[in-house]
Amino acid sequence: MLEIVELTKRYGDVTAVDGVTFRVRPGVVTGFLGPNGAGKSTTMRMILGLDKPTSGSALVNGRPYVDSRAPMRELGVLLDARNVDKGRSARNHLRALGATVGIGRTRVEDLLELVGLSDVADKSAGSFSLGMGQRLGIATALLGDPSVVMLDEPVNGLDPDGIQWIRGLLKDLAAEGRTVFVSSHLMSEMELTAEHLVVIGRGRIIADMSMDDFIASASPDRVRVVSPEAVRLREPLLALAKSVTSAEAQVLEVEGVPASIIGDLAAELGVRLHELTSISASLEEAFMELTRESVQYHGAASGHATIDGARA
Amino acid sequence: MSAVTVNERTSAPAERDLRFTRVLRSEWIKQWSLRSSAITLGATLAVMILFGVVSSLSATGSVETTGPGGGGGDPFSGSGDPLATVLAGANFGVLIVSVFGVLAGAREYGSGMIRSTMAAVPARLPVLWAKVAVLVSTLLVVAVLGVFVAYFAGNAILSSADAATAQWSDEGVVRALLGNVAYLVGLGVIGLALGLILRSIGGGLGTLIGGILFLPTLASALLPDTWDSALKYLPSNAAQSFTAVAAPETLLSAGQGAVVFALWLVVAVAGAAVAIRVRDV
Ligand SMILES: Nc1ncnc2c1ncn2[C@@H]1O[C@H](COP(=O)(O)OP(=O)(O)OP(=O)(O)O)[C@@H](O)[C@H]1O
Ligand SMILES: [Mg+2]
Repeated sequence: MLEIVELTKRYGDVTAVDGVTFRVRPGVVTGFLGPNGAGKSTTMRMILGLDKPTSGSALVNGRPYVDSRAPMRELGVLLDARNVDKGRSARNHLRALGATVGIGRTRVEDLLELVGLSDVADKSAGSFSLGMGQRLGIATALLGDPSVVMLDEPVNGLDPDGIQWIRGLLKDLAAEGRTVFVSSHLMSEMELTAEHLVVIGRGRIIADMSMDDFIASASPDRVRVVSPEAVRLREPLLALAKSVTSAEAQVLEVEGVPASIIGDLAAELGVRLHELTSISASLEEAFMELTRESVQYHGAASGHATIDGARA
Repeated sequence: MSAVTVNERTSAPAERDLRFTRVLRSEWIKQWSLRSSAITLGATLAVMILFGVVSSLSATGSVETTGPGGGGGDPFSGSGDPLATVLAGANFGVLIVSVFGVLAGAREYGSGMIRSTMAAVPARLPVLWAKVAVLVSTLLVVAVLGVFVAYFAGNAILSSADAATAQWSDEGVVRALLGNVAYLVGLGVIGLALGLILRSIGGGLGTLIGGILFLPTLASALLPDTWDSALKYLPSNAAQSFTAVAAPETLLSAGQGAVVFALWLVVAVAGAAVAIRVRDV
């Protein structure tokens, strides 16, 4: 369980995290979403005590992480896969960190096998590819068999096989009753793994809700109706729906009426249907909608972009 | 991916508590799992012993070390002080040990490893104490071996040629030998502290080597003599008073020098402790 209360971090003039309050519950995967520079990593560093909050507090299982008696057992973390000494082998990296809470060789070997690095365990971590480094970071996070797992963009650099694997892993971890907190700016990724969402933009929480609610709230459901007699449906639907649009003669897009009602209505009127499809908004769209105002670093729309020195 | 599960089956919860001895073990593993550690420490030992031997041979005339330029600036030509002759390698040992100490402190900041370390030990200070303890125990072994092997080997060479030796019973010899050991270990620890404070290998090395090697010489050359009373408190000058058998009159007494050097050490480590506690990782 993570409890974040009124957490704020300022770096000089920059307010990276601005009065953030939320809880991360055990048993589900909670996605921590936000565009670049939104404050995800900063929030995670404060939870770990690496950065001291300007104000507010973060509790891990009910107390500040700094006071944890068995830190690696309590909170396993992947912040940045590059946070390793380059000359040390993967195996020795895990042994060294695990040693702080008395984790021995057997456990280290198990973790190397779990993340698929057994064959390269004696290679220096500096020689690892991005994806291999990411796997080592995940092994580090799970080393202490922690009750809370916190991963900052874990799919970064993983191949499709690795992405598939980590999705399953995250769900398994949550199913075992752990608290799983995963950041990403890839909405499509979270859509497949997270049951709960905390959305952050410019350091503030924009949304804190279940995935289903999130999608529903951000963009209403639409139904696509294809019928050779579409015109006959149009009038009665207009009375029920928020909007009815028609891009082609035989196609209607209906907003705010469930497919079941449209189907029943068509049957009553004796209108033949060729297609009746619910189109729920993708998380990507929902997210873009929600964070439109808080995206700080827009890509240039045309090829005439200039680099104005701030940040790219 | 395999049948391996994330779950670890440990019985008592306390089995996975953080303890200082465990942090110590972690730092020990870190030190010895980098190949450069053994190489650097081996080099320190080799340099101290070999230079002592060569210097002793050259003092007895068994080896001609005078190059075309004559013997004037030859590091091996002893000043006539037999202990200085047999410990000729210590000056180079001091350099390598400084590098080793700074690396031990700054490396993790350079690589980002420090975030992994402090995430595992959020109390932070145990990491500092463990790093100090591992460094001190390691350098102590290297310095004792280097200093005493160089002493006995050098003395054997000198006495076989009937040259003057630094006898164990001579006044100040044992103190100077132990003083050299303490200086080597102490410098390593100051290097560690500087590395942790400055978080940069270049910055730490520049500060330490500049402050230890160049500042005393530079300052005494540039500043008027009235400054000498202040310059003797510099770490290297303070150390000279207890590493040499007979230090120049202008320096502190051996006892005073030891206290002053110890103060430098304490200030450096305390500074590192404050930096580690207060600053964001
Ligand atoms: N150590 C620091 N010093 C100064 N500013 C910082 C520091 N760390 C973060 N920031 C600023 O705080 C803001 C939030 O950064 P943060 O890294 O937390 O964002 P993020 O959500 O993790 O972004 P991304 O998706 O790109 O990883 C940014 O404006 C960043 O420039
Ligand atoms: Mg980030």
